Amino acid sequence: MKTLAAVLAASAATLALAAADPKQKQDLTSVIALNGKPCGEVVSYVVQGDNDFLATCKDKNRYRVYVKDGRVVVDKK
Amino acid sequence: MKSRLFLLVVVIAGCTAAPPPPAPEPAAPKVARALVPAAASEPAPAPPPPAAPQKAEVPSNVPASPPPVSSTPKAPPATKAAAPAKAEAPAAVATRPAAAPLDLRSLEQRLKDTGAIGVLTKLSLKNQVDDLVGRFKAFHGGQRPPTLGDLRPAFELMLMKVLSLLQDKDAALARDINASREAIWGVLADHDKFAKYTS
Repeated sequence: MKTLAAVLAASAATLALAAADPKQKQDLTSVIALNGKPCGEVVSYVVQGDNDFLATCKDKNRYRVYVKDGRVVVDKK
Repeated sequence: MKSRLFLLVVVIAGCTAAPPPPAPEPAAPKVARALVPAAASEPAPAPPPPAAPQKAEVPSNVPASPPPVSSTPKAPPATKAAAPAKAEAPAAVATRPAAAPLDLRSLEQRLKDTGAIGVLTKLSLKNQVDDLVGRFKAFHGGQRPPTLGDLRPAFELMLMKVLSLLQDKDAALARDINASREAIWGVLADHDKFAKYTS
């Protein structure tokens, strides 16, 4: 049980660290802008999977940014 | 119990593993592919100039200025090398305009390698470049619209996007791409050059 708790804690820490990466935020900001969507700046994001992000913008817009068939798709949530 | 715990650990590890970079190679190559074809017709590729020293002067003139003939630092050495050999000044001057705009092959590599653009952004740019190249393909295939008049603004917008992504973090590359504007357009707009590029 202790092992499980340790693994969960480590996983949570990894996720938190990934979601705070400023380079990734900048990348998501650029992608959203390139696709002509209003955002301003990505203030936070959640990794939903491989090349799949849920980004929250400064203006409260939220977008799912993911790669499908070699294309970057930006969907408003 | 052990196996269930093991299964849980495996699942969690799968969920939390940092996503591998989404194949940066495919992203950059096609972005840069748009720049490549003219490289074949360009004389003597030279190594890319160092980025750091030129950073300060670029942002102010990158987006708006027309392609300056003398802004590419690698051109003068090439012409200088040719001039003493032949000792024909007019010939050297005549070759200068062709050599000056750019070295597309090195631009391609620099676009691939630059850290100024994130992986997702590179992929998104590549998507848009591919779409634009597809429109040029339709144009050269005889389809109307688009006309060249339609395509030029789209091309300029595409370049603007690339330049605005680069100009703060890789100003030297932004300047060199800007200087290559007309050469790239020349490849896209010319039927034969474009065919050579797409084949």
